[in-house]
Amino acid sequence: MAITIPGSPQDMPTTAPRYVGKEVKRIEDPALVTGTAEFIDNFALPGMAHAAILRSPHPHAKILRVDTSAAEQMPGVVAVLTGADIKRWCNVGTTAPEGWGSTPMAVDKVRFVGEPVAAVAATSRYVAEDALELIEVEYESLPTVRNPQDAVAADAPLIFDNQPSNVIQDRTYTWGEVDQVFDDADHVYTEKFRWNRVGANPMETFGCICHWDVVNNSLTCYGSYQTPSFIALGRAASLNLPSNRVRVVSHPHGGSFGGKGGPRGTDIAALLSRKANGKPVKYIEDRVEYLLAGAGQSWDRYYQASLAVTADGKLTGFKVDLVDDQGAGAEGYGTISAAKPLAAFTGCYTIEAAQYHMKLVATNRAPTYAYRGYGPPPHNVVLESMVDIAARDLGMDPVDIRRRNYIQPDQFPYTIPSGNEYDSGSYAAVLDKVINMSEYQAMRQQQREAREQGRLLGIGVVNTVEPGVFDWNAYSTVGVPGVGVPEGVKVAIDILGHITVTLGFTLEGQGQYTLAAQLVADYFGVEMDSVRVTYASTDVAPPHFGHGGSRLGVALSGAIMGACKKIEEKFRLVVAGLMQCEPDHVELMDGHMRVQGMPGAEMPVAQVAGTMLGRSDLLPPGMEPSPEATYVWTADDRNEPDDQGRCKSYLTAANACHIALVEVDRDTGITQILKYFIVDDCGTRLNPANVEGQIQGSVAQGVGAVLYEEYVYSEADGQPLVSLFSDYLLPGIHEVPMTEKAFIETPSPVAPLGAKGCGEGAIHTTPATIVCAVNDAIAHLGVQTRETPISPNRLWKLLQDVVEEN
Amino acid sequence: MTAPQQQVQVTVNSVSYERVIDPRTTLVDFLRHELGLTGTHVGCEHGVCGACTILKDGQAVRSCLMLAAQADGANLQTVESLRNVETGELHPIQQAFIDEHGLQCGFCTPGFLMSTLDLLAENPDPSDEQIKDALDGNLCRCTGYQSIIRSVRLAAARVRGGKVAGAHGSA
Amino acid sequence: MKPAPFDYYAPETLEDAVALLEKLEDDDVEAKILAGGQSLMPMLSLRMARPEALVDLGKIKSLDYIREEGGNISIGAMTSKRAVEDSALIREKQPLLHAATLHIGHRQIRNQGTVGGSFAHADPAAEYGAIAQALGMEMVVVGPDGERVVVADDFYISFLTADIDSTEVLTEVRAPVMAAGTGWAFQEICRRQGDLAIAGTAVTLRLENGNCTDVVIAVFGVNAIAARLGDAEQLLNGKAPSEALFREAGRVASAELDEPISDVHASGEYRRDLVATLVRRCLLEAVERVG
Repeated sequence: MAITIPGSPQDMPTTAPRYVGKEVKRIEDPALVTGTAEFIDNFALPGMAHAAILRSPHPHAKILRVDTSAAEQMPGVVAVLTGADIKRWCNVGTTAPEGWGSTPMAVDKVRFVGEPVAAVAATSRYVAEDALELIEVEYESLPTVRNPQDAVAADAPLIFDNQPSNVIQDRTYTWGEVDQVFDDADHVYTEKFRWNRVGANPMETFGCICHWDVVNNSLTCYGSYQTPSFIALGRAASLNLPSNRVRVVSHPHGGSFGGKGGPRGTDIAALLSRKANGKPVKYIEDRVEYLLAGAGQSWDRYYQASLAVTADGKLTGFKVDLVDDQGAGAEGYGTISAAKPLAAFTGCYTIEAAQYHMKLVATNRAPTYAYRGYGPPPHNVVLESMVDIAARDLGMDPVDIRRRNYIQPDQFPYTIPSGNEYDSGSYAAVLDKVINMSEYQAMRQQQREAREQGRLLGIGVVNTVEPGVFDWNAYSTVGVPGVGVPEGVKVAIDILGHITVTLGFTLEGQGQYTLAAQLVADYFGVEMDSVRVTYASTDVAPPHFGHGGSRLGVALSGAIMGACKKIEEKFRLVVAGLMQCEPDHVELMDGHMRVQGMPGAEMPVAQVAGTMLGRSDLLPPGMEPSPEATYVWTADDRNEPDDQGRCKSYLTAANACHIALVEVDRDTGITQILKYFIVDDCGTRLNPANVEGQIQGSVAQGVGAVLYEEYVYSEADGQPLVSLFSDYLLPGIHEVPMTEKAFIETPSPVAPLGAKGCGEGAIHTTPATIVCAVNDAIAHLGVQTRETPISPNRLWKLLQDVVEEN
Repeated sequence: MTAPQQQVQVTVNSVSYERVIDPRTTLVDFLRHELGLTGTHVGCEHGVCGACTILKDGQAVRSCLMLAAQADGANLQTVESLRNVETGELHPIQQAFIDEHGLQCGFCTPGFLMSTLDLLAENPDPSDEQIKDALDGNLCRCTGYQSIIRSVRLAAARVRGGKVAGAHGSA
Repeated sequence: MKPAPFDYYAPETLEDAVALLEKLEDDDVEAKILAGGQSLMPMLSLRMARPEALVDLGKIKSLDYIREEGGNISIGAMTSKRAVEDSALIREKQPLLHAATLHIGHRQIRNQGTVGGSFAHADPAAEYGAIAQALGMEMVVVGPDGERVVVADDFYISFLTADIDSTEVLTEVRAPVMAAGTGWAFQEICRRQGDLAIAGTAVTLRLENGNCTDVVIAVFGVNAIAARLGDAEQLLNGKAPSEALFREAGRVASAELDEPISDVHASGEYRRDLVATLVRRCLLEAVERVG
């Protein structure tokens, strides 16, 4: 039976939604503000041991010998794990493209600083760390591949011996008549950019407790897992277990932003448990481990881009040449980050042809992982900077050149050159709103006056598309198979009418449990408080993926609407039987099943559920007494990619326009954000407070990436130079701008309730906005910044060149 | 070297505890693993993130930057003290963080709450700048701080007992 | 990330502490003093510091005071930075020391961190190093042979090393009350507010007949120890303040620095140039403060 998912909150069986679309308080919060949420390190199993991991100090070296005998003798140590165990028990992890994976612990050689080499489980973490100091490892240094230049040098040492070179992928995708468009252009602008490594850094690092049941040969992993079922499959493959013998229990986690899941840490804790004859083993990654080698490094990119423009400012072609330093292999799916820009390659613009040269190389840096936005944020810095370069040369205002090139509302659904289809948008309306809100012209005046006093003020105007609701097909260019990302929930009403929603992901911060309660409460006309949302581990939950790719709000809405609808259909049959009418004449509205045309002939939902469970004699013959339903949602109408990677991938296209006013201190190179304005459009806002929180939080991460954060590696020897929070600079309360926000709602015509994915949000836009603002402040001096983060030292150096020239 | 076992007596949330511990035990590990008060979280263990903030003799400190032994004789307060166990009522600071959406993942939140408690005890009517100065030793990766500032403002107003324009205004 | 094992002692009097340090020295035990621990604790947790014994001064209540005596502000070594921040006496009589204190770390650090701990740790990026130099502060050090008073210039020896013997305890620091008519300024450049400074400057000066006099410029965060910048001071003394003069002083200050530190946040050449800017800006602010 085909289920129709409501395309708008108005289509829900309620006269007026009481919760959906409202700033409701989050049901997650009482546990969190009292400190009672069960984060993984708050959880313990009886008899549990504690793991610590010995990590490589070398970027590239052979392991000649590992001697653990002293550690094994140490009182309190219950198990020691080395490469020899790994060889015996583990498979190399799968990657996309294939063949660039690792085992959870180095066996014959290490490929990056921080790679696990041995591990200990002991009575406490203190004792485990003491024991690590007793392990002797003899290394033979190998030449270090410090960066992509090293990686492709003629005599480059191979990082993966099973591969012919260090190049993971080198391919060009061409969309439309690129050569023609560039030949015909009045202007072609070409520039280079450098985006240095940044990453997620949730406040909680990864942690897990693994319990290997040695009798039944099965594994349970409790931990902070963003995508539990995906992790479970990976563990089964890595640890040689059938997939139904791995059970993952995801605990609430203290933020994730892409990478949380610790496959290596999980495998190591699992094997320590196996070696300790089934004793549970807890592993809590510490911050130094996270910064050196956790799932916290992303986007290490060298760009060259060209933009084709007509004399009157029409953007016609866009070429991007990307060299992406993936680090030591593809275990963290950093490759996908390079593929994702296809979903919004040409931004908000009607650019007709495009080309993408993707060269992904392996180096001896830490492997790269997913991070919020998953690739487009750097791409958008390039695209939006190029647009500003064209505007500056043509003497156009950055606002005007953008407006000139927007996809217009009547052009949707709109297929971009790289193949994705945008669902809807009102780009000019968003721009107008933010221009009004920011008093853009007055800011320009302020800028002119400041400049007369020798001060450097700059304004950035940047708009981007946020692809929402990812699909695997978006990543086919790096070898990811599949179409569709199922997300399932179970909705069940008990005999007293209380409703429980069961789902396969846990708390991470975005407030989806609240959303689930909002949706169910409005659907069945009950109080939100009475809806319970509960987590199910991978072995019992419906098929699910969880958080990721700005999809969960939309996917969850689809799954919940589907499940509710299925229950409604059952109730229709029950009530039709009781009231002796046609099922088609029964409808659900405001919590009651009503018979059309028979005033007063109605039953509350709770009563129908109670009847189903308690009075089988009243049910239609053969009917299952089950007032519950599971529905697994995936986006409709997704297709297989063509040979240029083109397909309908991300379901929704949210967009936003940001305007920032910054001041650059010419003497110190410090950039200060004076004002920051945002108008966004993510379709229906199911919980506006949640949306605002995602935007502001994502501004903070964008500010971090563009001004503060960087994983610095030594140019001389490839050693990582950042392993502390005093060196990896997360922006604090003084550094993040307090933004002024407004919105427009252009509902998605294709997504459940008209909502668009918005969780990754402003990180798509903020880095580009600040880069453009800084360049607006300094371009008249003859210099521009093309490298992030725009640290004071970097910007000072640029301005220094000007001073010296004068 | 044999580490002598260290006697420690502390009062935590008005309850007195005496334990014999390994002297190298950090205060946050002591609170979490020895006393089972796991509401205080560990984010960096080197004194930058503020997730482990508690009150020691009424002042906010980072419990990862102290040995448990250093707290001998001290009066400590953790997030577990905020909710009224008799009535179940949340502390006005906790309630304000809920009402103004001052948290997302909630991992850093106990630290922010305790820093706020220290601030409001000293200054019941802080300006936004004073709020920022008092909270700049606490990192949050989720919220972008704007809703946290609103939460502290609302909490301050409620603690003062004044009338509160409670709704989610712009910051 | 947990400390390696150590023995822990918490003497309750200064005499006991000194006697204990002496005994540990005799027994060849490598001991370290714990005075708040806001710098030492991370080093212990990272196992970068591995003392065999820790001597915690936290129970010596007699070292917690702020008082004015003999034209000095005397601060007991175990006084918290928060107490300095909250001290009306210091805010009024030694405003430079007060201003610098506000820049130290964050509130939590100032609550638990002590004045003595900071002076003794001798971190080149610590604000107090420059204040000690700028104000010509005195440090009182007590050991088995009694008490000695060390002036700032002699106190700081090298990177993370102060003139305190392994059997000695820093007990008090003394800053002169700021003379009326003194202009002062304190500025630093950090990546984020509350971070250790990339570069910072403290300035005091007076004006006599419209000319600068008694100019003191101290810089921190740039070299292995905080230092006075004599060439720049000399250039200024006896000259009428002007933007151009201060710009020149900045250039001179920048030129007289030892080779600056280079790290992930700032290159040596950047730090050197920041000093020129900071000196100029501090001089302007200090002159303005004279009124």
